[in-house]
Amino acid sequence: MTSLIPILTLLIFLPLCGSLLVFALRRSEAAARGVALAFGLAELALCLWPLALTGEKAAGAPAGYFLYQDAAWIERFGIRYTLGMDGISLVMTLLTAFITLIAVLSAWQVKERAGLFFSLLLALQAAVQGLFLSLDLFLFYLFWEAMLIPMLLLIGVWGSGRPVYSTIKFFLYTFVGSLLMLLAIIALYLMHGAQSGSYTFALPELVHTSIPYDLGLWLFAAFLLSFAIKFPLFPLHTWQPDAYCDAPAAGTLMLGSLLSKTAAYGLIRIAFPLFPEASRAFTPLIYVVAVLGIGYFAWIAFAQRDMKRMLAYSSVSHMGFVALGIAAWSPVAVSGALLQMVNHAVTTGALFVAVGMLEERADNRDLSGYGGTWGKIPVFSFFFLVFNMASAGVPGLNNFVSELIILVGTFRVAPLAAALAFLGTILTLVYTVRLVQEVVFGKEKKPLDLKDLSLREAGVLGVMALVVVALGVHPGPVLDLFRAPLEVLLKP
Amino acid sequence: MLPTYLTLMLLFPLLGGLTCAVAGRKLPRALVEVLACATVWGSFVCAVLAAAAYTTPQVITLADWFASFDLSVPISLYLDPLSLSMVVMIGFVCGLIHVYSVYYMREDEDYARYFALLNLFVFAMLTLVLGETLPLLYLGWEGVGFCSYLLIGFWYSDPANADAGRKAFITTRIGDVALMIALAWLFQLFGTLSITKVNGMGFLMPVSVITMLGILFLIAAMGKSAQVPLMVWLPDAMAGPTPVSAMIHAATMVTAGVYLLARLLPLIGASKVALAAIAVTGAVTAFYGATCALAQRDLKRVLAYSTISQIGYMMLGVGAGAVTAATFHLLVHAFFKALLFLGAGCVIAAMHHEQDIYKMGGLRRSLPLTFWSFLIGAACLAGIPLTGGFFSKDSILLAVWLKGGVLYQALYLLGLITALITAYYSFRLVFLVFAGDNGHVHQSSGLTVMQIVLIPLAILGLLGGLLDLPAYLGGGFLSGFFASLPAGDLPTALHEQEIALQVVAGIVALVGLLAAYLRYGKARAERIREAQAQPSSLISFLAGGWYFDKLYDLVLIRPYHTLAGFLWKGVDEGVIDASVDGLGSGFGGVGRLLGRWSTGKVAVYLISFAAGGALILAYLAWLAL
Amino acid sequence: MSVPLSHVLIVASLMFAMGLGCVVAWRANVIMMLIGIEIMLNAVMLTFVGGSAHWGIADGQLFALMLMALTSAEVSLALAMVVYLHRRKQTVNTDNFDSMKG
Repeated sequence: MTSLIPILTLLIFLPLCGSLLVFALRRSEAAARGVALAFGLAELALCLWPLALTGEKAAGAPAGYFLYQDAAWIERFGIRYTLGMDGISLVMTLLTAFITLIAVLSAWQVKERAGLFFSLLLALQAAVQGLFLSLDLFLFYLFWEAMLIPMLLLIGVWGSGRPVYSTIKFFLYTFVGSLLMLLAIIALYLMHGAQSGSYTFALPELVHTSIPYDLGLWLFAAFLLSFAIKFPLFPLHTWQPDAYCDAPAAGTLMLGSLLSKTAAYGLIRIAFPLFPEASRAFTPLIYVVAVLGIGYFAWIAFAQRDMKRMLAYSSVSHMGFVALGIAAWSPVAVSGALLQMVNHAVTTGALFVAVGMLEERADNRDLSGYGGTWGKIPVFSFFFLVFNMASAGVPGLNNFVSELIILVGTFRVAPLAAALAFLGTILTLVYTVRLVQEVVFGKEKKPLDLKDLSLREAGVLGVMALVVVALGVHPGPVLDLFRAPLEVLLKP
Repeated sequence: MLPTYLTLMLLFPLLGGLTCAVAGRKLPRALVEVLACATVWGSFVCAVLAAAAYTTPQVITLADWFASFDLSVPISLYLDPLSLSMVVMIGFVCGLIHVYSVYYMREDEDYARYFALLNLFVFAMLTLVLGETLPLLYLGWEGVGFCSYLLIGFWYSDPANADAGRKAFITTRIGDVALMIALAWLFQLFGTLSITKVNGMGFLMPVSVITMLGILFLIAAMGKSAQVPLMVWLPDAMAGPTPVSAMIHAATMVTAGVYLLARLLPLIGASKVALAAIAVTGAVTAFYGATCALAQRDLKRVLAYSTISQIGYMMLGVGAGAVTAATFHLLVHAFFKALLFLGAGCVIAAMHHEQDIYKMGGLRRSLPLTFWSFLIGAACLAGIPLTGGFFSKDSILLAVWLKGGVLYQALYLLGLITALITAYYSFRLVFLVFAGDNGHVHQSSGLTVMQIVLIPLAILGLLGGLLDLPAYLGGGFLSGFFASLPAGDLPTALHEQEIALQVVAGIVALVGLLAAYLRYGKARAERIREAQAQPSSLISFLAGGWYFDKLYDLVLIRPYHTLAGFLWKGVDEGVIDASVDGLGSGFGGVGRLLGRWSTGKVAVYLISFAAGGALILAYLAWLAL
Repeated sequence: MSVPLSHVLIVASLMFAMGLGCVVAWRANVIMMLIGIEIMLNAVMLTFVGGSAHWGIADGQLFALMLMALTSAEVSLALAMVVYLHRRKQTVNTDNFDSMKG
C-alpha cells in the first residue's frame, strides 16, 4: 500500500499546495493563518507516518532507504526526480515539519501581509523538505537555491534594523557558495559520464566516480565552501548575525533551526561520501575551524547587548560541535552530530522564539531593558531558563547528550580537538548565565509592563520544552534511526 | 527489592521537585511544604530499607539512557558501602534541612521555586552518588551545580546574590569540563564508561596515563569541592539562604569531589603522582581555608572557609589512599557542619539577619539550645577529643602519617598546624557569638522548631566517632563495612602509634581552644573594640581569601571582558566583516571607475573604438611577424 | 591590365584611416563626423569591389550596391537627427550630447 501512495512527493508538495492556498486566501488574515496551521499539522502528521515503515526496504532503493521514488524528469541530461528516505532524512523531515509548525504558531501575531508571510513559510518548508529527500544532485541543488527565495523575502519584507543590507549580504554569500557547488556538481557529472558512459546526477551512482586526487580536492573545496557559508563556519559567518538579527522571529527560527541544518546535512550526505579522500585531507582544517568557532563565537556572544545577536553567535558556536562531529567521521561522532543538529534546532529555535515573545511585549532586544522577569512573568522566565540551561549543556536536557556523544566520538580520532572544543563550553556557560542573569534575575532595569505568556505562547514553548527534556532523557529512538544509514554512509 | 528501593529513592525527590516546579505556584503553601519534606523523607526511608536489604556490592540497571554504536550509556546504579553510607547520610541530613527550611523560609513568597530546587537537588545528589556510569554521575554532578546556582542566587533581586550564583556555576564548570574530558578519554582507552569496569581495568594502562587521568579528576574535584585554586566560589555562595548553605555548601554537594576521587581510587590509586597531587591539594586547601577563617567577620563566611578547610582534610585522606578515613570524615563533617550552619541560621534569624560576629554576643542565655548544639558542632570542628570530628580527623592524619615518606610527613605536619588553627577559629566563633552579654533576640515559634532540628544533628556529630572507633577500642563499623572496597593496601597502625598520634592531636586541639579562650573568651570586649579599627594588612589579606578573587579578576575576568569586546568590534566586525565589506565596496569602486568611461560623449566612444581596433591590429601584426 | 589587389587594399586602408582620423579629430561638428564615417564606408566598399574583381565573383559588388543603399538611408536619417539636435541645443558639437552617459 505504501508503494501506491507517494509519501515523499506528498511531503514536498503538501506544503507547496498549502503555500499557494494561503497565498490565494491572503485577503483574509484569519483564514490564511488557519489554513497555514492546518497544513503545518498535516505535514507533521504525514512525517510521522514513515516512522512505521522504517523496517521495510523500498523496491529499487539504494541500501538503507526505506522509501524511494524515482522518475525520469529531464532525460536529455540524465536528470531524474529521485527521492529517498532513510533514518537521517526521516529525522530531518520531522524536524522541519515541527519547526515550521512552531514558526507558524510563533508568527501568529504578524499583522502586516500575514497571508503572504505564512505562504512563504510553507514554501520554505517545501523547499527544505525537498532538499532533505532528494537523491539527485540536480534536484538537491534546485531545492538548495529554492530555499533562498522565500527566506530572502522573509528577511527583506518583514525584517527590522537594516533588512535590505542583511538580505543582500545573505544572498551574496550563499549565492557565491552555491555557484561554486553547481560548478562542482557539473564537473562531477561530466566526469562520471565520461567514465561510465551514463550521464546522471544520481547521488548513489556518483559516489562510485573515481576522481583524481588533486581535482577531488578542488571539487570538495567547492562543496565545503558552499556548505560552510550556510553552516556557517568561521570565518565565513559574517552574514549570519546580521541576517539572524534583522529577520522576523519566525524567519530567524527557520534560518537558525533549519537552513543551517541543510548545510550540515549536505556535508554528511553529499560532500563526505562523494570525496572520501579529499574530505580526509580537509579534516584538519575543519577541526581547526570548528574548535576556533566554538570558542570564538562564544566569546563574542558574551560581548553582545542585543539578545538576538547574542543568540545568533551562540547558534554558530553550537554548530561548531556539529562540524566537529562530522569532521571526525566516525559512526559515534556523526550520530552525535546528527543528534546535535536536532537538538540545536529545538533549543536555539526555542530561544529565538522566546526572545521574539519578549520583543513583542517590550519592543526591545537590549539586555539593559530587562531584568527580574522572574517576579513578573514567571512562566516565561521558567521556560527561558530551561532553554538556556539546555543550551549550556546541563545534563538531563537535550544538548548534553549530543555534545557528549560528539566529544566521546571525536576524542578517539582527534583528542586534542575534542578537548579544546569542550573547554569552549566554559565560555558557553559564561554568556548563557549572563543572558539569564540580566533578563530573568537581578532588578528590573526599566519599568516594564509585561504580560505573561498567552495560552498559545505557553503551548509553543511548552511543547518545545517537552521535546528538550524528552531528547535529553531518552534520545534512544532518534539515535536508533541514525544507525542503519550511518552504517551505509561510513562503510569503509 | 533493591531496585525498587533505589528507583523510589530517586523518583521521590524528582517527582516532588517537578511537581513543585510546574504546579507549585498553584498549590497551597502547606501542601508544597509537606510534599517537599515527605518526598525527601520517603527517599531516606528507601535508603534505610536499601541498607537493610543490602548484602554485597551490586550494579542495578534500570533503563537505557542513550546508545550509539559501541557507546552505550544505561541508567545503572551501583550500590556498595561507599554509596550506601552516602545516600543514608544525604537522605537524613537533607530531610532535616527540608524541615528546617519550612520554618526558615516562612516569610518568603517564592516557596515553590525554593522547594522545587531543594528537591531536585536531592535527586541530583543521589544520582551523583549512585550513578554507575560516568555520564550518569555527571548528570548528578551538573544537576547539583545547577540547583546550587539557582539557590545561591535565590534572592535574585540583589545582583550580588545572583553574581555569587553565577560565579559558583562557572567556576565549577571549569572542573566539570575536566571531568568530561577524562570521561571521553576513559572511553577511548577502555571502550566503556562504567565506573566499576573502568576501576577494574586500570592496570592495563601505563602509569603516566593514569596520572593524567588522576589529575583531570582532581581538577574536577577542585571545582566542585572548592579546593585551591578553584575555591573562590564557596565563600560567596553563602549569599544563598542559610539552609541551602547547610545542605549544599557544607554537607553534601561540596563533598562530591571527594566522593568522586574515592569512587575512582582503584583506578587512579595506581599512580603515586596523582595521589600525591591530591594529597598536596588537600593539605594546602585545608591550611588555606583555616587561615582565611581566622579573619572573617561574617558568621557564614567563617563556616564557609572552615568547610573548604575540612574538605581539604578529606582530600588529604583520599590522597593518602584512605578512603575509609576520608568517608568517615565526610559523614561526620556532614553532620556537624550542617549543625553549625543550621545553628548559624537560628542565630541569624534571631538577630534580624545580622551576620557580623562582632555585633553578636550573649546568645548563650537567650538561645540556650542553639548554644549547646553549636558548641558541640564547634567542638567537633575543632577536633576536641572524643567528639566525632576528633576521631574522623585523626583517622585521616593517621593514614597520612602511616603513608610515610618526606612528602606525607610534611603534609601531616601541615595538617596538624591546620588542626591547631581550626580549634582556634572555631572557639573564636563560639566566644564572639555566644559569650558576653547584650543577648537581645527575636523569638518566634519557627525558631523553636528550627532549634529542635539541631538536636539529632548534635547527637550524631557528638557520637559520630562510634561509626568508626580506632582499632584499639575494638575497631569500627565503617572499617568493617568498607573492607569490601577495593582500596589500596594500607599499612595498619600499631595501637601505641595510634594512641600517640591521637594524644598529639588532642593536645593540639586543646591548645587551640585554650588560645581562643585567652584571646576571645577573657579579652572579648577588647577584641570587639579592636575590630572597630582599621584591620591590619595581614588580617585584610586573610579576610580577602589571600586576594585570590582580586588576582582572578585581574588575570582572567577583566581580560575576558575586554577581549570579548575587542574580538567583536575589533576582529569580527573590524577585520573579517570589514574585509568582506571591503571586497564588496572594492567591486563597487571598480564598477564605478569603469562606469566613468562611458561618458556619453561620442568622441570618447570613437577613440576607444579606434584604440581597440588598433590594439587588435597590433596583436594580429605581432602574430604574423 | 588590372590593378593588383594589394594596391586596392592599401588605398582602402588609407581611406579608412583618413575617415577614422576625420571622425576622431573633428568632433566639434557632427556633420564632419558623418563625412568621416562615409569615407570609412567607402573604404569598405572599395575593398569589397576590389575583392570581387580579384576573384571574379559578383558577391562583393552586390554588397557594395547594398551598402550604397544603406548609406543613403543612414545619411538621411543621420542628417534628420542632426537637424533635430541642432534645434534642441543650437550646436552641432558632439561633446555637448552626452545624455547616454553610463
